[in-house]
Formats: sequence, C-alpha cells, structure tokens
Amino acid sequence: MNKTILIADDSESIRQLVSATLESSGYSVLVSVDGEDALTYLDGSIIDLVITDLNMPKLDGIGVVKGIREKEQYKFIPVLMLTTESQASKKEAAKKAGATGWIVKPFVEDKLLAVVKKVLR
Amino acid sequence: MDSYQEHYLIEATELISNLENALLVLEKTPDDKSQVEEVFRIMHTLKGGAGMFGFQKIEELTHYLENIYDLIRDNKLATTAQILDVTLSTVDHLTALLYDAECKEEINKENHARIKNEIDIIVKAIGITEATAERTHSQKEVVSNASALYHIVFKPNKEIFANGTNPLFIVEDLLALGDGRAFARTTRIPPFDKINPEKCFVYWDLLIFTGTPVEEIKDVFIFIEDQCEIAVNKVCAFNIFENNQIDLKLFENPKTFNSYLVEIASRAPKKKTEDHINKKSELSGNTGVVASTDDDLDMGNPKERIKNISSIRVASDKLDDLMNLVSELVTTQAGLSLYSEQNPDRRLEVFSENIEKLTRQLRDTAFSMTLIPINHLFQRFKRLVRDVSLQLNKEIDLVIKGGETELDKTIIEALADPLMHILRNSLDHGLEHEDERISAGKNKTGTVTISAYYSGANVHIQIKDDGKGIDQEKIRAKAIEKGLIGKHDKLNKAEILDLIFAPGLSTAAQITDVSGRGVGMDVVRKNVTNLRGEILVDSEVGKGSVVEIILPLTLSIIDGLLVQLEHTKYVIPLEVVEKCHELNAGELQENINQLVTLDGKQVPFLDLREAFDADKNTAPELTQIIVVHKNHKRVGICVDTIIGEYQAVLKPVGKYYRNQEFISGATILGDGTIALVLDTNKIIEQSIGQKIVAL
Repeated sequence: MNKTILIADDSESIRQLVSATLESSGYSVLVSVDGEDALTYLDGSIIDLVITDLNMPKLDGIGVVKGIREKEQYKFIPVLMLTTESQASKKEAAKKAGATGWIVKPFVEDKLLAVVKKVLR
Repeated sequence: MDSYQEHYLIEATELISNLENALLVLEKTPDDKSQVEEVFRIMHTLKGGAGMFGFQKIEELTHYLENIYDLIRDNKLATTAQILDVTLSTVDHLTALLYDAECKEEINKENHARIKNEIDIIVKAIGITEATAERTHSQKEVVSNASALYHIVFKPNKEIFANGTNPLFIVEDLLALGDGRAFARTTRIPPFDKINPEKCFVYWDLLIFTGTPVEEIKDVFIFIEDQCEIAVNKVCAFNIFENNQIDLKLFENPKTFNSYLVEIASRAPKKKTEDHINKKSELSGNTGVVASTDDDLDMGNPKERIKNISSIRVASDKLDDLMNLVSELVTTQAGLSLYSEQNPDRRLEVFSENIEKLTRQLRDTAFSMTLIPINHLFQRFKRLVRDVSLQLNKEIDLVIKGGETELDKTIIEALADPLMHILRNSLDHGLEHEDERISAGKNKTGTVTISAYYSGANVHIQIKDDGKGIDQEKIRAKAIEKGLIGKHDKLNKAEILDLIFAPGLSTAAQITDVSGRGVGMDVVRKNVTNLRGEILVDSEVGKGSVVEIILPLTLSIIDGLLVQLEHTKYVIPLEVVEKCHELNAGELQENINQLVTLDGKQVPFLDLREAFDADKNTAPELTQIIVVHKNHKRVGICVDTIIGEYQAVLKPVGKYYRNQEFISGATILGDGTIALVLDTNKIIEQSIGQKIVAL
C-alpha cells in the first residue's frame, strides 16, 4: 500500500513540482489549492503525511496544522511546512501549532524526498 | 524542470498582474492591513516559485520588497506614495525579468540597477541594513571531524506525538550516524491504569561512535529541539563496540550505565586503523535510513481518490486544435445531413439527426472553453488609469462592470489596443481638469465606466465618461475642412458623431502624450470591424460620451443565411440580417440612384449580379433583397434565391483574395462545394460611402 500525501500550496507550479516529485517515488498525492481546500480532505480517508505551504489565501499553513490537530483521526499524522528562509518567526508559530518539520524553499527534489521518506518510514 | 519553468511563467504572469491590482487597491486604502497582507502574500508566492525555478533576480527583488512590506505589516512603516511607486516600477521590471531571467539585456540591466537603487534609498531611510545586503545562502561548511564516541540522552516531551513526530525515527536516525546502541528507559512509564496512550513516556540513552560533528548530530533533532531534552557528550575517541568484551547488560540498566561508561572509556583502545573505522561508519550512515523504507517504494495500486479541482490549465494550442476538429466535424456533419436527405432511409435519418444534435452541443461546449472573462483585459486598465491620472493631474475613478462577461480569447487579445486607445481618449480629451469640472458644477473626480454585457450572440462593451462630451459643430467643421463631407450635407447627430472614426480627423486642440495625435479612431474601427464587430459613439455636450463596441462571441463558426446567385452560393452572417424582401427584378433595374423603397423607407441597395458581373440573361424574374444593418446603417443586398440558415465554419481566403471588397472568408458546404462569406460591413461602408459622395 503506497502512502498518501496531501499537499497544500496556492502556487500551481510548486504544486506540480512537489506532486510530480512525490508521485515519481510512488506516493499517492492529493492536491489542494489553499488551506481551506486542504482541510476538506480530512473526511475520514487515510492520509499519511501533509505538506503545506505557509503562506496561502483563505487559510494559511498554521491554520492547516491547527485544523489537522483538532481532528481525532489526524491528530498524530506528520505535517511538514514548506517555508522560505525569511519566515523564521512563523516557523516557531507553526511548530507550536503542531507542525512536525519543515522544508525550506527553494528546495531540491532529492532533499524533499529524503525528508518525506524520513517522516513516513 | 523546464516544463515547470513554463508553468511558473504563466503563473508568475498572473501573480504579477494580481500584485499590480492589489497594489492599486492598496494605494486607495493605504491603511488597510488586510490589503498589505494580500500584497505581501502575492510577493511571497512569487518569490517562492522564483527561487525554485531559477529566476534568481526576481527572487532577489521580491525579497527586498517583502522586507519592506513586512515592516508595513508590522506597523513599523507607513505605506507611502514613494514606496508604492517603487513597488509598481519593480512589478513592471519583474515582467521583463520573466523573459530575461539572467538580466542580460542592456535595458533590463539598467532598470535593475535603478530599481535596486530606489529600493536602497527607501531601505536606508527606514534604516534596515539587511534588506538589500547580498543574501548568502547559508551552507554549513563540513568540517572533517575525527570519530568519537558520544553519549546522547534523548528525552522527548510527553506531548511529542501531538506534533506528528515518532521519536523512534529520531533514535533510528541517530543510530544511522555511526556504530551505536540505543537503550530505552522505561522509568517514566506510569502504572498501567494511569497510562495515556497518546503520551510518550519512554526516553533513551544512546552510545554512538561516529565521525559526525556534534552540530550535525544535533541537526537530527532540528524539528523537535524544543520538544525534548537533549544532551550530547563526547565520551572517548575510540569505538567501544569494537571491543567484544563490553557487557551490554550493564548499559541496559540505567543504574549502572554511567559508572560502566566511565570505566569503559578509561580502558585503552586496541589499535585499529582510523580508516577502517571511518569507512564503516560512513557505510552504516548511508544504509541506515533506506533499509526501513522499502514499503514506501512498493508500487501498489494507485489510490483512487481524485478530487475535482474547479479548473485545469490547458495549453491554448490544444484548444485551437479542438476548435479545428469541431469545425471539421461540423462540416462533415453537414455532408452527412445532406446525404441522408438525398437518400431517404429511416435509420440513417435518425443517426444523422442525432449526430447533428451532438455536434451542435459539442460545438457550444468547445466554444465555451475558448471563452475567457474580459476582466483579464479590464484589470490592465486600472494601471493605465492610475498612471495617466498622475500624468494629466486629473482625479479619475475607473469603474468596471461586468468583468465576468466571457469572450473568445483571440477577440480579447485583439481588443486590447482599441480599448486602450478609446480609454486614453476619454481620459485625455473627455474628462476635464478639476477646476473646469468644479465650475461646471460636477464632482471634481471624473468617472470612467467600462462595462461589458451579453446581448444575444453578441457582447457589448461600453466605455463611458462623464466629461465634456463631443462638440458636434467642431467635428462638422473639421470634416468639411478635410473634405470628408460637403458644406451643405445634412447629417443627423449619429452621422456626425460617426465621423470621428473617419481617417485623419482630430478635434483635439492640443496634442498630448497620452492619447497621441488623434489619428487612430479610424484604426480602432478597422480593428473592431476585423473582428466582425461594430463600434458606435454617442455623446452629449457637457455630460459625457459613450463609445460602444459590439462583438460576436466567437470568430470561427457563425450562423449564416445561405443564398445563391447564378450557380454560386454565398453566406451572409445571420446576425446582421434584418429582413428579407422579394421584388420584381425590373423594379431595381429602372432605379438610377440605387435606392429602393422598402416598408416605406428608402434603402440603398447593392445588386450582387451587377457587382459580380453575372450574365444578365439568367436573371430570375423575382429578386430577393436582404436588408442588412450595421452602425445604424442599412443596405439591401440583392440575390437570386435564399436557401436557408446555415452553420458556417469560417475559413480565411487565400492571400490573393485578401484585398478584395466583398468577401471575408469561405466555408465548405455539405456537398463539398464552397460558399463565400459576404463581408457585409465593407459592403455597407462602400454603398453608403458612395451615397455620401453622390449627394
């Protein structure tokens, strides 16, 4: 059974890059375009990992983490944040909300896969 | 990566235009924090992608801007006109950088330097030193380190599961660094009835012999450093596990752990070559992680959970291909319908009718896909209005209505220039200066309204201003001066106003930068006409003017009226057809000034037989006259027979036929023959033009 990763990013090109990278390594990818959209996926289906952008319209990445942690079923799933270096302060906020880790943009595909593998083993 | 880069280009273009709009809104409401947030967010998305897809210069500039807007967001800085100006010019420059990522072109280089300088000035004024300083991507230097044995205590907080972290993974990562052992400590685990399965009670003592420096060992904890207690201590410089004589049991017991460790560390190591040890630790370092991830790579059935995304992006080439195929299908279907008519067969007829129905639906669906909201275009005008209002020192409000109205994308692209021109005219010549407006009792802010709406198979676009209006007398005088009309010609208001579209007519006393020399309204009409559209103007002195453009929804397939002249068939676009009349051929021939009275009104007419040099002897007794209209004008077109309605797929005529007067295209009929599509616009212009001269 390959693992399912939910990604949330408002940038289409990043979404495509991330999902193509993950899919090429055999993961199933669910795609959402903003925070609100991401939370609609938490409907009982199995999600093994969430990778979310920090800055998104409607609901930002921190909101996504909070939303995930509020749900019994998804309370303990890993959530990775995609951040840029300039947002160190937000990183703290995200962690406080319950984020598992982060990937710094710009990232290399291999790095992304390495981190994903790590949290998903 | 290249295809992603392409996607980024499209996305960035959108982001830049969104950013521009957000900035324009911000300019109006500089204290609106949510708008600052929006600006910041768009910049941020732009920057994130730029870094990913190799647009370093864009990344750099957006980074600087982001710093500035971050300060605004935190109330440390106010939104000033200067900042907005610099931001807007940066935004313009970003577009250039999308196509010149390395900033190699001279002009871009200059702009880049200038903009950086401008940002610098702002930054210096507010005293952040960091903003434009060259950013160095921090790359930790790998210091080669002698291997050593480390004692690591890893005590995760009890709440660590709530962050989605599995502490066992951390232990695994640590063990992967070298040769090591982990000893789980269970002393914190409460009695069974007090156990909360959502909390972590276990912690670990680890002994690892590794060449990894302490800093990198700590990197393992990077995500959770504040959610656990960590201690990393160097014990000794040799690998105790090489020595088979250690008693792991003494390590397993927390009470004996420390004393035993001291004892072991004090033993002298057996001689071993460093190389061998290093190699070993490297090896285990590489394999440690991968080994346990096999099931991740297991390609099982792809999980079926596809969520509908509200829209997808399709290359416009593909849409064009689709439209071409649909056009072919429409043509083929016409052939099938004809065949079924000629060869009566019940079942064939049913098939043919169904296919006709499906083709029509497919055509409509495919059409709707090529339509995009005209807002794409309207949004661009906001910036234009802002710049022009500054330049002219007029206060101008731009109101946009019906931006969601959809039009064929090729039409929208072709409309950009004409609309821009009309708008500039309104801003420059239409709207008065503030003092003039106040003395005329008007609001000092001028308003220009652009609106779009559907009407039948057409889209209407209006540009309306509340300026001084067009002086008919001035136009009339000018037109007489230029010889466009005679001194004694009697023209009604619509006809006079229509003269602004005549070549070479300019009423502006002053030539300005903004709207140019007044040449161009004729070009505007030409552009619109090329789109099979029409353009009208209405105006009232002192109150304002309105220019209206009426366009077909799409360009490639039209509903037409199929007519015949001798053996040739022609198509007249149905939308311009007003009424069909039947007359005795004789009535027309006796008519000298090419006017015919229909329904009590005189209408100029064009006898196609005459125009196309048809054989006079084959003329039928009854002639059909089709009244077509455009721009308030009506003309009758005489043909032999009317066949009926026809869905015509428009094909351009070859280049040798481009300059003729009557034909705008061709279409293939069901039986494979060709029908020419009459260009009623040109026919009307010609007949009316001749009339004016003749008067």
